[in-house]
Amino acid sequence: MEFDLAYLANQWPALMRGLWLTIQVSALSIVMSVTVGLCGAAIRVLQVPVVDKIVVGYVEFIRNTPLLAQLFFIFYGLPGLGLKLSLFWSGVLSLTLWAGAYQIENIRGGLETVGKGLREAAFSLGLSPWRFFRLIAAPMAVRVGLPSMLNTSISLLKNSSYLQAIGLAELTFVAIDRISMDFRTVEMFAAICVIYLALVLTLSFFASRLEYRLNTPFRT
Amino acid sequence: MTHLHATRLGALSTLATAALMTAISGAQAQSLPPLPDSIKSAGLLKAGVRCDQPPYGYKDETGKFAGVETDMAIQIATWAFGSADKIELTCVTAENRIPQLNGKKVDLLIATLGVTPERARVVDFSKPYRWGGSDMLVAKDSPIKKLDDVAGKTVIMLKGSTQAKWFEDTMPKVESLRLNTASDALQSLKQGRGDAYTHDAATLIVIAAKDPSLRLVGESFAVSDAAVGVRKNEAAWLAYVDAALDRMKAEGLYAKWVDKWVPADIRPFYTDAFTKPKPTAR
Repeated sequence: MEFDLAYLANQWPALMRGLWLTIQVSALSIVMSVTVGLCGAAIRVLQVPVVDKIVVGYVEFIRNTPLLAQLFFIFYGLPGLGLKLSLFWSGVLSLTLWAGAYQIENIRGGLETVGKGLREAAFSLGLSPWRFFRLIAAPMAVRVGLPSMLNTSISLLKNSSYLQAIGLAELTFVAIDRISMDFRTVEMFAAICVIYLALVLTLSFFASRLEYRLNTPFRT
Repeated sequence: MTHLHATRLGALSTLATAALMTAISGAQAQSLPPLPDSIKSAGLLKAGVRCDQPPYGYKDETGKFAGVETDMAIQIATWAFGSADKIELTCVTAENRIPQLNGKKVDLLIATLGVTPERARVVDFSKPYRWGGSDMLVAKDSPIKKLDDVAGKTVIMLKGSTQAKWFEDTMPKVESLRLNTASDALQSLKQGRGDAYTHDAATLIVIAAKDPSLRLVGESFAVSDAAVGVRKNEAAWLAYVDAALDRMKAEGLYAKWVDKWVPADIRPFYTDAFTKPKPTAR
């Protein structure tokens, strides 16, 4: 079977609709998971009683269970407990919870590099723990943690393809759905791999720009 | 001793019955064309059947092949080789059945195979032996009473199913939720993620009979024929299969098998599918 470019051209609008949904879900989840990461890491580092144990439990739970099982639990399990989220928000929630756990660890790793001395200096200057975190620790931690945060965000973007399993019409869904009708396997999977690659490279480009900017004070 | 006698007697009577059966089928087999050498040389019939599609082809509690289409395969083996044991049944799925046939793992498919132009390019079809339509399952109190009522609503369907194609071609305005398995689809319907779940009527009837919270809409659409599949360019074998199907019909075997495999409360649908002409539907 030869590679049919005309077929791909025909399916292009459908693929673009899928791509748009992939971008929406991923962008929203990346922003939300970084927020979760910042909050969780702050709770861990500031050793907020009880809550920090919950954060530890959450991170362990997410990192040691399959994403697909978490997704099915959110989509099919939660309605049984009275919480029915739409397809879109089920997807965003599962990706956010998944990536959030990793972002907590990424940012916490960055926070470890903020020395004890700096912390004591901040406190002796009268900064509250929260202001210390916001003004000193977080910016430094994000700079150090950025490569691993980018890694997690790239994984999140790729893992958004799992959402096809609950019927969210993102990029992979479109490909699998068309293949099951037209049997054009090679064309479709080749096309979405190229699209994902372009998407990840774009994300990496912007992250390296951000890294460059955050490093401004350290450049000579 | 008595026990041994009984066994021997049993064996004798089985032998006598078998001899009688062979004599009878030998006489009737004259109505069938000669078995092509390619099949005869194997010494048994290699048939592909479904093992997850009750009542057509499935495995019973003991793991044995069961169902109407399984009985059809066994019947052809009996006519072709004189014994119901001269058969090798292979469990095939929707995805692998045509590769199994064309890879010569099996010599025919009686496996809920719908006749479509795409498939006709790669296999030959016998005469149709039954038809199969699509239907929709909805919640008991749903306002959906007929097919047109789903306009503007969300319909759950399986990726790549006949129904997905049909809705896309015929009612493109219908919002679709496409999932991977029948259990995902049913779960989603019960959680209210869609207004209806569309699939083969034969599958939905079984679900509806078991679940009082659901109801069939009952309007047939996307009706297609099911036929036996054989490899391309095996005309003599195809002719044999066609003649065997004619004979099953003439001897009223389909109705007998439906009675054997289908519970009485849902039986009429299946009896009609094998014995009545295909209904006109969209």
